[in-house]
Amino acid sequence: MTLQDQLEAYLTRLWETPARVTMIARIPGGASRETYRFDVEVNGGTRGLILRRDPVGSLIDTERKLEFLAFRSFHGKGLPVPEAVALEEDGAELERPFFIMGRIDGGKAQSPFTVAPYGEHARTIGEQFFGHLGQIAAADPATLPIAEVAAAPALDACWKKELDYWEGVIDADEEHPQPIVRACIRRLRASPPPPAQKLSVVHGDYRTGNFMHDGAGRVIALLDWEMAHIGDPLEDLGWAMEPLWCYGETDRVSGMLPREEAIAIWERASGLKVDLAALAWWDLFASVKGQAIWTSSAREFRAGGFRDPVLGLSGWYTARQQDLVLANRLAALEALA
Amino acid sequence: MTPTVPELLQGNFIALIEPPPPESSGDFLQSRVAVTGMISLLCAQEAERGIAARVWENRAIRALLTRSAPTYGARFAEAAAGEDTDLSLAAMDRANADLRRALIDLHIAVETARDATLDTEIRGLYVRMADARRLDLPPLPAG
Repeated sequence: MTLQDQLEAYLTRLWETPARVTMIARIPGGASRETYRFDVEVNGGTRGLILRRDPVGSLIDTERKLEFLAFRSFHGKGLPVPEAVALEEDGAELERPFFIMGRIDGGKAQSPFTVAPYGEHARTIGEQFFGHLGQIAAADPATLPIAEVAAAPALDACWKKELDYWEGVIDADEEHPQPIVRACIRRLRASPPPPAQKLSVVHGDYRTGNFMHDGAGRVIALLDWEMAHIGDPLEDLGWAMEPLWCYGETDRVSGMLPREEAIAIWERASGLKVDLAALAWWDLFASVKGQAIWTSSAREFRAGGFRDPVLGLSGWYTARQQDLVLANRLAALEALA
Repeated sequence: MTPTVPELLQGNFIALIEPPPPESSGDFLQSRVAVTGMISLLCAQEAERGIAARVWENRAIRALLTRSAPTYGARFAEAAAGEDTDLSLAAMDRANADLRRALIDLHIAVETARDATLDTEIRGLYVRMADARRLDLPPLPAG
């Protein structure tokens, strides 16, 4: 039975009416889950959908229900977030857990490995990118569907919850000692940030490559919510400005805007004020989290019999780039007192 | 370091030799081929520089551990003992793993002692270590 057959059987059962699946094609990206685009003909009309199915091996271990509810939390709230359509945690006809969401056509996602990825539209896209992130930060997570499954930490525990988790990932998956990231983790623990000023939904992977734009300066879809959680809103801001996402550019973050302008846009949209010392902590944390993800990639690449080259590249090239970012950030910190 | 060059190239072979299911042709296959190309290009750099980077790093860590032993303990001198005689990547990485573990322990001891001078030196070493292992991916044009 092909994937197309399985999808037809599932959707026909779900909607209690014949559904015909066409144009199914796997799309690159979304490395934590297999991602497919397809059309479905039902009730005389055609609808474009996206399937996100759990893989055998993955960059990141995440709960698909959490991602599903993150989409549901922000769809229709003034942000370009696709509709969450259906979730099957036991896999149903598709054998592995999956969810289906609405498809937004006419856009493209840029690779972080491209130079000047947004060309003449960099500023316009940057204003929307950081503005949308500010809107996400402004929302009250307690009122959103994601609160069903995402724990709400105490304001002063956000940093520790995240750092404990990602250090644990490195502990579990590391196959070669990494003195640089270990030193960074010790520094982060020695100088924790102030408590979060509020709890927010943290997208968790808000960066170049995880949103689509229409090629004419408009952001049309915010994607890849698989690491969403509730925490300190500065976490997303630090991650979005991680140097890894802007291919060596030093004067613009994410290949879009100068850092100060990005922060100002985020502040206006969120109604929050950025404590620069706190953000510096989250900047370094972002690089630590990145290295944890690449460490897992390397392990999964091996565990999966070297079959996924994206995992191989992430666990090797990207890990080394991340080490450079970490080492330079660590070197720039004040001397021990 | 993980993954190794042999593993990466073996992965490239598997990725290219296995026929994809019908739904994974098109954009997905094109992207997969592009990634295998990037890996091949970067493996060429690793073949060119990988041994030299490991020889340098192992020597640098040994020197630091040896110099630090009078202050921080003989175990660091013991960890630094020996030299790289087998210059295969696998042997160099095995030695490197032991040296890095000792370096981590030394750095923790230095931080505990609030030894700002040696801490700064170690952080500088980290920058040079990361730079020595750097791989250079040519910029991709924005599509």
